[in-house]
Amino acid sequence: MNTVLSRANSLFAFSLSVMAVLTFGCFITTAFKDRRVPVDIRVSRVLLKNVDDFTGPRERSDLGFVTFDLSADLQPIFDWNVKQLFIYLSAEYATKANSLNQVVLWDKILIRGDNAKLNLKDTKSKYFFFDDGNGLRSNKNITLTLSWNVVPNAGILPLVVGSGHVSLPFPESYENTKSY
Amino acid sequence: MLSIFKSIPTHMDYKGQKLAEQIFQGIILISAVIGFVYGLIVEQFGWTVYIVLGGFAVSCLLTLPPWPMYRKNPLPWQPVVPETSAESNQKPPENIQKKKKHK
Repeated sequence: MNTVLSRANSLFAFSLSVMAVLTFGCFITTAFKDRRVPVDIRVSRVLLKNVDDFTGPRERSDLGFVTFDLSADLQPIFDWNVKQLFIYLSAEYATKANSLNQVVLWDKILIRGDNAKLNLKDTKSKYFFFDDGNGLRSNKNITLTLSWNVVPNAGILPLVVGSGHVSLPFPESYENTKSY
Repeated sequence: MLSIFKSIPTHMDYKGQKLAEQIFQGIILISAVIGFVYGLIVEQFGWTVYIVLGGFAVSCLLTLPPWPMYRKNPLPWQPVVPETSAESNQKPPENIQKKKKHK
């Protein structure tokens, strides 16, 4: 029987199906896009301390303080299938205990419409750079990388590693903690 | 609740029903194409959604109420046969008569 309700039902169902197809189209037009962007990271100051890690084992652990400059233009990443970017700066290094350590030092959420040109000078890290032992001292190769998660309207959630990273050696000696 | 809906005249003839379906499908497909292209150009998927919703609203207006354009081809019903039915209305028929009528 054809009534207002049955017509409304078929109209609504048809609109929803069309919308689903459009959303898939939105995904497929951006699915194969390269979302890598050149990133320029510079480390201006490195400080190494050996302090009590109260969260972990009651031993003194290495705590690094990294002050960095960061510049990147993330505007090309944004398109009609990007709601926001979750950017994070991570340090990767190898120790005797673990062949790969990853520590997130700093992060930021870039919402669509925000200023996507990152230009940070002498920024302190947001989170503590604790090693789980004494692997930071005189570590020759600590690599800082900027990566981002792309949060889409529809589709997959890609994790992109920015091209451009910096490797630095950590100091040989600890800084004296005067007031602690 | 449902009785309110039933009291509204919703009748469309068969050709009208087909016409209404073709109209809303056409409107929504066209608005989908326009919205997709526009959203791709301005890089805002929200516009695509809004344009399709607009098409949805327009086709609701055009095809949900039984406008006169959907009632141009009424079915040619048989004319009312007056005799027997008029009699049976006046006098309640007996069981035997009723059975005959159904045959």
